[in-house]
Amino acid sequence: MNDRQKDLIQKFAALAGLLLLTLAFSLTSDAFFSVGNAMTVSLQVTSIVYLGIGATFVILTGGIDLSVGSVLALSGVVAGLLTKAGLPVSAAMSLGILVGALCGVVNGLLVTRLKLPPFIATLGMMLVARGVALQLTDARAVSGLGDAFGVLGNGALWRIEEIDAQGFPNVVFPGIPYPVILMVVLAIVAGLLLRRTTLGRHIHAVGSNGEAARLSGVHVDRVTMFAYIVSGALAGLCGCVLMSRLVTAQPNEGVMYELDAIAAAVIGGTSLIGGVGTISGTLIGAFVIGILRNGLNMNGVSSFTQQIIIGGVILFTVWIDQLRNRR
Amino acid sequence: MNPPLRDEPGAPLLRMRGVCKRFDNVVALSGVALEVGRGEVHAICGENGAGKSTLMKILSGVYTPDDGEIHFDGELVRIGGLAHAQALGIVMIHQELNLVPHLNVAENIFLGREPRRGWFVDRERQREDARACLQRLGVDISPDAQVDTLSIAQQQMVEIAKALSMQARLLIMDEPTSSLGEADSMRMLKVVQDLKREGVGILYISHRLDELDHIVDRVTVLRDGQYIRTLDWAATSIDEIVSLMVGRELNQQFPPATRQPGTEVLLKVSSLAREGAFGPVDFELRRGEILGFAGLVGAGRTEVARAIFGADLPDAGEVEFGGQRLRIRSPRDAIAAGIAYVSEDRKAHGLAVKMSVAHNITLANLAEVAGGLGFIDAARERQTAQHFIDKLGIRTPSPEQIVRLLSGGNQQKVVIAKWLFRQARLIIFDEPTRGIDVGARYAIYALMDQLAAQGVGVIMISSDLPEIMGLTDRVAVFRQGRVAGILDTRRCSQQDIMHLASVAATEATMPPAAALALS
Repeated sequence: MNDRQKDLIQKFAALAGLLLLTLAFSLTSDAFFSVGNAMTVSLQVTSIVYLGIGATFVILTGGIDLSVGSVLALSGVVAGLLTKAGLPVSAAMSLGILVGALCGVVNGLLVTRLKLPPFIATLGMMLVARGVALQLTDARAVSGLGDAFGVLGNGALWRIEEIDAQGFPNVVFPGIPYPVILMVVLAIVAGLLLRRTTLGRHIHAVGSNGEAARLSGVHVDRVTMFAYIVSGALAGLCGCVLMSRLVTAQPNEGVMYELDAIAAAVIGGTSLIGGVGTISGTLIGAFVIGILRNGLNMNGVSSFTQQIIIGGVILFTVWIDQLRNRR
Repeated sequence: MNPPLRDEPGAPLLRMRGVCKRFDNVVALSGVALEVGRGEVHAICGENGAGKSTLMKILSGVYTPDDGEIHFDGELVRIGGLAHAQALGIVMIHQELNLVPHLNVAENIFLGREPRRGWFVDRERQREDARACLQRLGVDISPDAQVDTLSIAQQQMVEIAKALSMQARLLIMDEPTSSLGEADSMRMLKVVQDLKREGVGILYISHRLDELDHIVDRVTVLRDGQYIRTLDWAATSIDEIVSLMVGRELNQQFPPATRQPGTEVLLKVSSLAREGAFGPVDFELRRGEILGFAGLVGAGRTEVARAIFGADLPDAGEVEFGGQRLRIRSPRDAIAAGIAYVSEDRKAHGLAVKMSVAHNITLANLAEVAGGLGFIDAARERQTAQHFIDKLGIRTPSPEQIVRLLSGGNQQKVVIAKWLFRQARLIIFDEPTRGIDVGARYAIYALMDQLAAQGVGVIMISSDLPEIMGLTDRVAVFRQGRVAGILDTRRCSQQDIMHLASVAATEATMPPAAALALS
């Protein structure tokens, strides 16, 4: 059996696990298998996917980004404060995302120039970004941002409503939430970039063997920087979407989200040593986590028990992955 | 072919017979015999790859032999691991020191064997015992000194003290003076003589044949993993040892040379130097020529190659390539100029082993198979890969095969394909056939000749003298970071090269006929 076949089997195993979960929850809970709930799960999963895509880029290069949970809070807060200050929502959010990208630039510089271990560099950024977010807001939520701020997080495409006989609106189709559309677009773009472009190839090469890549003329530092910038910018986007959904900028938002992102990538078959991983895998991983949470909720499982189960799933999938990689 | 028995009372300290070791079908040692008496200093000589370190690792318990017997102190033993070897009294001092830099001398000496009082380390006793060991060596090192504050020579002494504290009866020293200066080397040799007087058997590996003169009783020569002969030092000469070391005739198959080295100078290196590594180094390479870099491991050959390629930056000197002065600050610059480097360590430096054959071949020249926006044309990439797979005869089930799963020879061809696709005009091969079986070597030799025939300049770093003799037009012999001489391959012998490489400059006698003045 060659590696490619093994990869396929692993991917199908994850996919099969996902389908199995769906089936099990459909049987145990009536409300689970419905268009409405599918949209709910998708919406809940979006933030894990945004961050998971970033995590996949970074982990592919052999790094790790622990700062995304804090960076998303900082970006969201910046977007919120700028909106409050009178900037148009689109400009405010763009600047929020830019702040996220800048955090990525700093992470990248710490890793490539100062040669800090990625774990430490992004751990530092995790504390700094959270601290700045809390400082900017005095640790208070920023509310009263206006309806326009909530469109990105709460709007939906192709929402169909009917006015019934009594004159009340009746939802025929809940529509596809904007965050879900964004997720699909991002996943496709990121997937193409990683699989089809020279940049994507270089990202794999850096993670597979950085020294060989350097000796083949790859700009290892630039490629690494790019990965951290993508991760930072996606964290920024994630922050804007989350705050928009709440129509409030919350400096405490996103705590521990980095772990969900890393878990999604790892469940999806991304190797923490670098060089191996796919966006489709990360998508599957994110949905495994999302469906587990949603399904367990519907079955009345406490959030504490959920943590135990998700932790177990992560350990199990990584163990499977180790088995696969053992020669 | 047993070593001659000495007329000593009782059995020798160590006696090995018919020891064999294979790694994945590569024979590292076969039928090796060795005998060391109490209080004897026994040198092991051989070229790089002759099997010296494999032999030492078998003795110190790192490897278990596939065949053969080892008698220690008259008893048949099966050395089951490092701990077992140490319990027997066989201790190895490695070339690269194995001390923990942040611990002090006493802690290092007793690492893993700390004297205890109850649950705690008996620090007082540890210090005193360490002091005793150091005194026995007659060295003035405090047991409380942190190891990373010591000089290399002092660290070497600590290693020996550690060995003594284990009640070493057979001490294996791998190039103990390679990183020492003159004065420290002399001290080291004095310590060896003291140990000898105390009845410790010593196996001594050194490339510096001249230094053996003071201390050695007998010499065993290995070549290609085979036992060649054991000689009494008093009854032999350096010349005899050297000729036994290289003794192999050109029995390997080398392709007939089809190239015609041109006269145009392709590469001119002047006074290239990097502090602590090599230099100043001067040499020229012509178009279509294969220039060998011979010398011992650590003589600076790889370092010079890496400097030309921009992998490590030189401190001084100039590199002219194709008539133009190059400013190389990274491998990217070198690659853009048309220089390629095939590393000696394929897995560490040459290949992205988790990636496919096709992806590795195109890695250095992705733009060539990519269209607008950097999108890779998968069909074109596959075609390119297939072209080189056919051209070089890379044995792989498909271009999508993960490189890690190929054999060493085929991995090497993938690296070469990468640079052919990049259309390099100078290719530096660093130990191109290391770890590659004999059959696959021929193909790589033929390829190098073909490249040269097409006008590519080829530099081949090799520790395999027959390979140097069989393939190169000229050979630059390196010793201690400098070019000790450049010889015309057709007019020199392996012995000439070995002499230049291993004997101190003052003693080097280069046959005038072989010396080729470079203008």
